[in-house]
Amino acid sequence: MDLMRHLECFVAVAEESHFGRAAERLGIAQPPLSQRIQRLERELGVRLFERTSRQVTITKAGTLLLDEARELLARSEALMATARRVRDGESGLLRAALPPDIPGETVAAILADFRQRHAGVELELRELSTTEQLLQFASHELDVGLIHHPCDVSGLELGPVLHREVGVLLPRDAPAAALDEVPLTALTGYDLVLFHRAAAPSLHDDVLTTCARNGYTPTAVRHGQGASFVRGLILSAHAVAFSPRDAHPAGAADRDPDVVWRPLAGTPLVWRHSVAWPQGRSDTVVGAFAEAATHALRNTTAMSADPPPRPLHLRPAAEYWL
Amino acid sequence: MTSTLARIRDAFDAAGVTGRLHALDIDSGAEINAGADLPVVTASVHKLCLLVALHQRAAAGHVDLTEQIECPPAGRTLGPTGLAAMLDPVRMSLRDAAYLMMAVSDNTSADILLERVGLDAVNDTTARLGLTHTHAVHTFGRILATIRQDAGPGGPQALTDPYVIARLRALDPARTNRSTPRDMTRLLAAVWRDEACAPEHCAAVRRLLGLQVWPHRMASGFPFDDVHVAGKTGSLPTVRNEVGVIEYPDGGRYAVAVFTRAASTAATLPPADAVIGTTARIAVDALRAL
Repeated sequence: MDLMRHLECFVAVAEESHFGRAAERLGIAQPPLSQRIQRLERELGVRLFERTSRQVTITKAGTLLLDEARELLARSEALMATARRVRDGESGLLRAALPPDIPGETVAAILADFRQRHAGVELELRELSTTEQLLQFASHELDVGLIHHPCDVSGLELGPVLHREVGVLLPRDAPAAALDEVPLTALTGYDLVLFHRAAAPSLHDDVLTTCARNGYTPTAVRHGQGASFVRGLILSAHAVAFSPRDAHPAGAADRDPDVVWRPLAGTPLVWRHSVAWPQGRSDTVVGAFAEAATHALRNTTAMSADPPPRPLHLRPAAEYWL
Repeated sequence: MTSTLARIRDAFDAAGVTGRLHALDIDSGAEINAGADLPVVTASVHKLCLLVALHQRAAAGHVDLTEQIECPPAGRTLGPTGLAAMLDPVRMSLRDAAYLMMAVSDNTSADILLERVGLDAVNDTTARLGLTHTHAVHTFGRILATIRQDAGPGGPQALTDPYVIARLRALDPARTNRSTPRDMTRLLAAVWRDEACAPEHCAAVRRLLGLQVWPHRMASGFPFDDVHVAGKTGSLPTVRNEVGVIEYPDGGRYAVAVFTRAASTAATLPPADAVIGTTARIAVDALRAL
C-alpha cells in the first residue's frame, strides 16, 4: 500500500467531509477514493469515517490520527523536494511565480540574477495572481512566489516587505494634472477605476479606506484592469485610476497626449510585495530566488522608503494590548 | 448542503478572511462543517476552557468561588478591559473575576484564575471532555509576551507589517493555544446539556457566556429580540474568533464555532468581525431548515 497516497485521501475526505468534493480535489474518481479509504481503514484496523446516505463524518479515531497524517504528508513533501534537488545535484527544478503586474524589466532581472546564482537549476516561472499562488502553495504545486499584500500569510514564511510607489492616472486637462504632486482630496468629484473586488477583496477595501481616510470618496467605483480599458474610462468617463510609478517611466509618460501620471502627495498609497514560501520548505534554491526577486524589485521598480509608522489606536474589542 | 458551504465560503472570501466553521444542532447532532477539523489558534476563546475547568474544581470542592481575592495594580496581565484597565487595588470574588474574564475578556482576571486552576487542569478538563485537539501551552500574559518578543522594538505598529505577522508564534496553532471548531462546539454542547460539569455549574457557565458585551461578531448575525446569543470571542493580530450558542424560542439550540484569519493587518476591520455573524447565521438557518 502507498501509505502517503492513502493518507492524502484520508486528509482530503476529512477536510471536505464529502467524498465527491474530496475526489474532485484529488483529481480522481469517487469509487477509487472510497476503495482507498476502505483499504486504509483495514490496514490501520481503525474506522476513520461514519458514512450515512447524506454525509461523511470523521470518527473519534479518525480525529486522533488526522494531525499525524497531516504532519507525515508535510514531511514527505519536504523530503521529496529535497531529494529532487539532492538527486539532481544542481540541476533541479524550482517552481516559482510572479504576479501579472510586475514590469518586464523586473522579470528579466530576476531571471538573469537567478541564473547567475544557480546556473544548474531549471526555473519554471509562472504568472499567477496572489490568490492562485496561495492555492498552489497549499496543494504543493509551487515552491516560491512574489505575493501582493494584504493576503492571509498563515503557514508562510516571508522575505522583507517591499513598498512600490503608487500614483494617479488622470486626464491631462484635469486641474489636478497641473500639480507636481496630487493630494487625494484633489480627486474629489472623479470616479475611480479599480480592479474587480473579487480579485483581491482586502486590497480593494484597503485602497478605498485609504482614499476615504485622506479625503477622497469617489462618486462611483468602476471596475476594470486592462490598460486600454482603464485609459478609455479616464478619457471619457470623468474617472481616475491608480498605477505604480514604475509603469510610467518619466520620458514615456509624457508621450501620451491625453492621460498623465502624477505622484500622490505624501505617498498615501503603496503596493506592498514580498517573496513568500511555505513554512519549513525553504532551501538554498528558494533562498536564492527570494534574494534575486527582492534585489530586482529594489533595482528596477520605484520602491518608496518604508512609510513612516502611523499612530495605531487599539480599541477595547481588540482584546490584546502590548 | 453544498450551497450552504458555498455561501459560507463566499462570505469569508468577500470579507477578506480565511474562515473555519463548525455548527452543531445540540439536540439532533446535525452539523455544518466548513473546515471543522483544521487546527486553529484559540486566543481568548480558551477562557471558556478555563471557566469550565474552574467550575469543575468548584464542583469537586477544591475551589470556593466566593473566595475573595486581592489584586494589586502591579504585575497585572495587560489588556484593554476589566481589571487589566483599572488603576487601583481591587478585592473581589473568584466568580466575579470569572464574570470579567467572560464579559469583557479581561486578561488580568483570566491569569488570576489560571494561576489558581493551573494549565494542566485546563488541559485535563478539555481532554476528559474528548476535545483531543484542544491544548493550552501558555498563560494569557505569556501569549502577549511572545507577541512582544516576536514583534521586536517596533511595538504595536509593527503588527501591521505582514513580515512580522508571519513570524508571530502566537498565530501558529502548532506553537500556541489551539483547538478545532468541532472541539469547541463539542464543549459548548456539553455545557448546554449539563454534561461538562454539575448542572448548577453548567448553568453558571451559560449565564456568563450570555453576559458577554460584544455585539459586533456572532451576535450581529442574529438581529432578533427573541433569539438568545451567548458566546466568547478571541482576538489577536489578524485573528478574529467567536464560539457561542444560539437559542430560538421554539427550543432549537445550535453551537457554532467560527475562527478567522484576515488578510489585512489592520486592527480595526468591521467586515471581518461581522462575517462571523453572517456565516453563523447561514449555518444556523441551514440547520433549522433540515
